[in-house]
Amino acid sequence: MVGLSLGEQFFIQGGIAQDLRCDGRKRLSYRPIYVQTGVIPQANGSAKVRIGDTEVIASVKAELGKPSLMQPDKGKVSIHIDCSSTAEPAFEGRGADWLSADLSNALQRCLLGAKSGAGAGIDCSSLVVVQGKICWDLYIDGLVVSSDGNLLDALGAAIKAALSNTGIPKVQIAAGASSDEKPEVEVSDEEFLQFDTSGVPVIVTLTKVGKHYIVDATSEEESQMSSAVSISINRQGYICGVTKRGGMGLDPSVILDMVSVAKLVSEQLINKLDSEIASAEAEDES
Amino acid sequence: MEYVNPEGLRVDGRRPMEMRQIRAEIGAVSKADGSAIFEMGNTKVIAAVYGPREVQNRSQQMSDQALVRCEYSMANFSTGDRMRKPKGDRRSTEISLVIRQTMEACILTHLMPRSQIDIYVQVLQADGGTRSACINAATLALADAGIPMRDLVTSCSAGYLNSTPLLDLNYVEDSAGGPDVTVGILPKLDKVTLLQMDSKLPVDILENVMQLATEGCKAIANYIREILLENTKQLEYRRGS
Repeated sequence: MVGLSLGEQFFIQGGIAQDLRCDGRKRLSYRPIYVQTGVIPQANGSAKVRIGDTEVIASVKAELGKPSLMQPDKGKVSIHIDCSSTAEPAFEGRGADWLSADLSNALQRCLLGAKSGAGAGIDCSSLVVVQGKICWDLYIDGLVVSSDGNLLDALGAAIKAALSNTGIPKVQIAAGASSDEKPEVEVSDEEFLQFDTSGVPVIVTLTKVGKHYIVDATSEEESQMSSAVSISINRQGYICGVTKRGGMGLDPSVILDMVSVAKLVSEQLINKLDSEIASAEAEDES
Repeated sequence: MEYVNPEGLRVDGRRPMEMRQIRAEIGAVSKADGSAIFEMGNTKVIAAVYGPREVQNRSQQMSDQALVRCEYSMANFSTGDRMRKPKGDRRSTEISLVIRQTMEACILTHLMPRSQIDIYVQVLQADGGTRSACINAATLALADAGIPMRDLVTSCSAGYLNSTPLLDLNYVEDSAGGPDVTVGILPKLDKVTLLQMDSKLPVDILENVMQLATEGCKAIANYIREILLENTKQLEYRRGS
């Protein structure tokens, strides 16, 4: 937990009101972002993202499974987040369960779209091998290693980077199998299909402190927030999900204003992330 | 299965007395008082130390020494097959206890009465020898946090397969069913603080295997000392003195 004196609290609030935050940033600027891909060799794709002192790792594992009866033409994607106790002693034991569940749900809402799979940032229909019989199940695991605020944005960025690092093995279907039984498949260990990640949205969390809102809040700033809204936006500028977490109520007009600000910020963030991911991939290959 | 081929090479191409490549880095978690990453081949762990600080649970406070606590956890993606394990299963509780006891033996707890030191270790990748890697990472993190210690503790494992003593087993060799001896030593004081072995082994061979593991520990201790020295030099440089 962050323990701040009254003076420190006023300092943070006053700084935000004057558009000059404790670390010298403006209200709508991010801390430096570093991306490293391929950090977990056992996974199909992985990435480590560091925003300031916040550090998260995301990994993608693909396993062959059976599509659900309701959606025979779609693969399954699940997101699970863990908060390591290295990040904060309070996460020890079961202490981080609520935060993990909260983050997992928010990410699922932001990246996977509705229950029907409509509007998902990840194209689930590309995961099908044989319709109704075999598909790829993607397990996305996130781990918070070090926490200094803005975990949701960092996790969203890490998942985006991990997905673009993901190679799904090519599958050959053995010919001659009858249509009703489970077909035999051969998984190639040399050829991989790259995942299309251009549609994966980024998440921008706007934290309201006093009358103003800021992006990329540190944990000190988060302790002073009155409410926070997380908006996931894709490259086309469409909103893929909105989550309001905690705090007091907001005026509806403020939320609409926040959405338009988030849209502006997201363009910069997407460009920054894409160039970071591209350079990380280039470094990973060399 | 053949774990040592006629040319004397192991499954991953190492010689029987060869260790995997080790790499360490100090200061991975900036919010912690001390932290470190330790890698042995594909095994990668991260350790963070918080403290000495006020005891959280008053009933555990001790008036003559510090309370040392430890939590070991494995990431979902750390193993080859993905699995979901809740925190605090039997295996992690056991390893937490082992690490706690090993570190407690080297921390000068009597200098910090009525305080608490938390050690958190997180396995990012598991490929055999996580226990040793965790202890080595914890040592580095404790040193980074500036906690007074009698000596560095270092740990290394050794096994015995195909009638050959093998240093630093990886996952394939570890799951071969042969003995796995994990040794933790205080290298300067030349004392053993941790010794664990499963499976069975003739007494005269145990001596050899233990000797081998001890040599491994000493090599790791040298490396850790180098890393600490390098880190201290950097700190000194940054201070500008």
